[in-house]
Amino acid sequence: MFLAHVSSLQASIFSLLAIFSLLLAFVMLGSHWLRNYVYAFAAESWLIAALSAAVAYFGGYKELYVIAVLTALFRGLVLPYLLMGIVRKLNVKREIHAVLQPASSLVIGALLVMFAFVIANHMNFQTGIAGQVVVLALTIMLSMKLLGFLMLAVRDEAVSQILGLLVLENGIFLGSQILVPGMPMLIEIVILFDLLIIVACFGMLIRYLLVHAGTTSSRQLNRLVG
Amino acid sequence: MAQRLMLVLFLAPLIAGALSLLVRRSRVSEYATVIAAIIDFVVSILLLREALQHRLTFLHNYILLDNLGAWVILCVSIVYALASIYAVGYMRLLDEDERLPLFYALFSGFAFTMLGACVMNNVGVYWIAIELTTLISTFLVGFEQEAESTEAAWKYIVVVSAGISLALLGTVLFYWGGSYVLGPSYAMTWTALHGSASQVYPPLLTVSFLLVLVGYGTKAGLAPMHTWLPDAHSESPAPVSAMLSGALLNASMLGIARFLGVVHGTSVSKFAHSAVVGFGIFSFVLATLFIVRQTGIKRLMAYSSVEHIGVQALGLGFGGPLGIAGALYHMLNHSLNKSLMFFGAGNAMRAYETKEILKIRHVLKVSPVTGTLWLLGAVGIAGAPPFALFLSEFTILRSGIAGRYRWAAIVFVIFLIVVFISFLAHFRSMYFQAGPEPQVRRMPGAVWRAIPMWLAFVPLLVLGLWWPRVLWNAFMQIYFGLTGGTP
Amino acid sequence: MLNDIVLQVLQVLAVLLLAPLLQGFILKAEERVQRSTGPSLFQPYRDLWKLFHKQPIVPESASWIYFAAPIVAFTAMLIVPILIPVLTDRPLPISDMADMLGGGMVLTLGSFAIMLAGLDSGNVYGGIGSSRSAMLGILAEPILILVLVGISLLAKAMLPFVVNHTLLDKPSVYWSPTHIFLVLAFFSLLLVETDRLPIHSSTHIEIYMIDEARILEYSGPLFALLKWASMMKQFILYTIFCNVFLLPWAMAQRGTALGEVGSVLSLLLKFLVVAISIVVVETIQSRLRFYRYQEPLAAGFLFAVLAIVSSQLI
Repeated sequence: MFLAHVSSLQASIFSLLAIFSLLLAFVMLGSHWLRNYVYAFAAESWLIAALSAAVAYFGGYKELYVIAVLTALFRGLVLPYLLMGIVRKLNVKREIHAVLQPASSLVIGALLVMFAFVIANHMNFQTGIAGQVVVLALTIMLSMKLLGFLMLAVRDEAVSQILGLLVLENGIFLGSQILVPGMPMLIEIVILFDLLIIVACFGMLIRYLLVHAGTTSSRQLNRLVG
Repeated sequence: MAQRLMLVLFLAPLIAGALSLLVRRSRVSEYATVIAAIIDFVVSILLLREALQHRLTFLHNYILLDNLGAWVILCVSIVYALASIYAVGYMRLLDEDERLPLFYALFSGFAFTMLGACVMNNVGVYWIAIELTTLISTFLVGFEQEAESTEAAWKYIVVVSAGISLALLGTVLFYWGGSYVLGPSYAMTWTALHGSASQVYPPLLTVSFLLVLVGYGTKAGLAPMHTWLPDAHSESPAPVSAMLSGALLNASMLGIARFLGVVHGTSVSKFAHSAVVGFGIFSFVLATLFIVRQTGIKRLMAYSSVEHIGVQALGLGFGGPLGIAGALYHMLNHSLNKSLMFFGAGNAMRAYETKEILKIRHVLKVSPVTGTLWLLGAVGIAGAPPFALFLSEFTILRSGIAGRYRWAAIVFVIFLIVVFISFLAHFRSMYFQAGPEPQVRRMPGAVWRAIPMWLAFVPLLVLGLWWPRVLWNAFMQIYFGLTGGTP
Repeated sequence: MLNDIVLQVLQVLAVLLLAPLLQGFILKAEERVQRSTGPSLFQPYRDLWKLFHKQPIVPESASWIYFAAPIVAFTAMLIVPILIPVLTDRPLPISDMADMLGGGMVLTLGSFAIMLAGLDSGNVYGGIGSSRSAMLGILAEPILILVLVGISLLAKAMLPFVVNHTLLDKPSVYWSPTHIFLVLAFFSLLLVETDRLPIHSSTHIEIYMIDEARILEYSGPLFALLKWASMMKQFILYTIFCNVFLLPWAMAQRGTALGEVGSVLSLLLKFLVVAISIVVVETIQSRLRFYRYQEPLAAGFLFAVLAIVSSQLI
């Protein structure tokens, strides 16, 4: 088992990379400008790719190098490029926060991280350094999920909602790199391409939204009620 | 033999879709889709017979054909066939002849991905197949390119993608739990997960199962994750609504049923069943309350779908041979009945040019024959005998009353009464209440639209009066397959 | 080897005498960054000298608090250097009078005294300044407490000396995410507590005033005491930031006179680094609107919480 033989140096490196990815998710949560969201997401994807490479190096999983490169390429370059294209097409630069100010969402995000930590502790059954790495991975994974859901819930703009979904997927990917690096490569690659298709579909849908519904802010998409 | 059947099953919609895209003529794509759907229906019956005899795997254990999967394939292909016949008549009314080939291509692609999801042995690939169904059906939902349809498509894709990402998290956690038993790298098949489940740390198993339940429950339309369902099902064209309600929800319930089988026999099993019952009864109650005050005809049908998925979840959660048999029979009956209802609703919408119940009056004057079918279908979907849904709901009730979930069964009965009254009240106002006289117009394609309604109605009546022995044996086999016992 | 008590007195004297130098440096650096000459480095000394020789003018509505507050603030700022590692990195006598939390409390006592002084004379501007600084205090104090909790969890002790030694001995603790987050949280706290942009601007336009508004009524020696107290507060916060968090090196270990002088020089060098970074941060930004003060503080709160969580993780 990879996790059973992890040393404290490796654990520190993993924790550094994972926690800074979480920090970038908070940057996404707290900024006002749509462009900063995309940049933070790109940086986060690069960090996760670095984590993948670190797991490959220390654990001896050669396939993970390929996945690291693919992640850096697709999640780190292609997806942000597509998203910036979408942002440029829209005529909004910054988001009006109707429900929750960025500062309050930062505080709520911190509370969610604590909640994720409690659950991760509950789910863990290993002791020692391996246990610490497990709790770290589970906490970061669950808190990025919760942060993604927070972004989906309080944001109006379509692009912010897409980014919330991508943060969700990033969280799962990060956790799976640490917890189950041996997962068959086929699944990981297919999920990666799946993400690309999702963003392409979203791009098309946003164009339809602009043309037919006239707005991409979900606060104004309220014709269907009841 | 089975391998060739599987090949035909998947090639038929693929070829129909490709043909529609390449030859951009609407007539060609219509006929191709209908032929492919009928071929699929016949093949699925043969496949069910094969699967009941032995459990088959193909392609290095990636494709699995077992009795449960074959049953869902049958339900999906029935809806595919009925909906494609209806679509020929319905889509001609929309005046969008140039875009029709794209519609049929997406339609066949949608059927292909749903059929694919039913046979996936690898849990991860099953997730990917479900994700693909979402992506393709989004464009079907937003096909009419109005403001409301686009809004519905947007809500659909955002809510469902967020929901099934939870299911992916649950899958990863299941894999991780199993990796302590089976080693760091193993093929994530249903049987592998089931084999390792008893040795996985129980809190981990609990959290993973809950995540998977909420995730696939979003896709299946369990409350409170059902928020996309009324919008998507009401804004899409009627044949697509029938496919979404009748087929897609079943494919997602398949995932939940399989995961219940994975945790069967572990210490988490009781909690898992209670969770499923909880979601089921909550969906049922919530949908009933929304049905009472509904104003749109297709939203009414959509909430009825939520209600029936709640019933299916109740059946799976109650467990036992009666519960599982009831839930599986319910899948088939709901597919038939809901298709009938959506077809009737589509007819009414096109005849009256409105979606509101208040404006639909004197249906019998506009369409005497299909209107009667629609009314009888409404009686059936409210759960009354002699239609098939009564039998399946009664079976589920029987399994519930006897066990630990008596409270859920009692709530079920009470709200069944509420559903019956409110649903039929809407229909009473549409059929027998005084109002402005509608104009009777001849609309093209009426025969195309009437045939599937008859094809859906007759089995509904027959299955309501007679539960075939063959089906009962099939369900028992599936039950023992899920719970690992011997018949 | 100097006597321990002499060392302790030296620490207090260092803070007392070098605080205006730090203030002068920051002001001059701000001006130089904007390509003007700026005041001399020793200008605050001259200001204090001038103020001590002026005649005090006391408003009629002043009570005993008017006289007591500057003295309380000044005294509090004299007490804190006893508790924290300024020049030497081993605990001196009576430096265990209070741990970090106690030191923070005394520091806050000084600010509280100045806040009361602003309210005392009934002046409108004093009220504005005090209420604004109270609001900032509400936002900033939890961060301070969480930072102190975080650093205690990291070093498993509440004394700043133990923290200093832990950071010196173990590089893995120094580079751990907990420590990095705590540094970032304390940096944002530093910006707020020492009245730098983006919270406070050093002009005297009343819409922006927070700190000057509170001491608007003062003149003469009492004014000098208050200014000296806030300069010393800045010096103390920088000391805590450098010696306890960020750059715990180069402190006198054995207490010789040469060591003490070297320690003073290294202190000034460390402050140079921090002061330049503060000046850079200040020059880059403009002042935030009042309702957006919560944002850098929410970020600081977030860093502190993340630090505490990550101290449990790895």
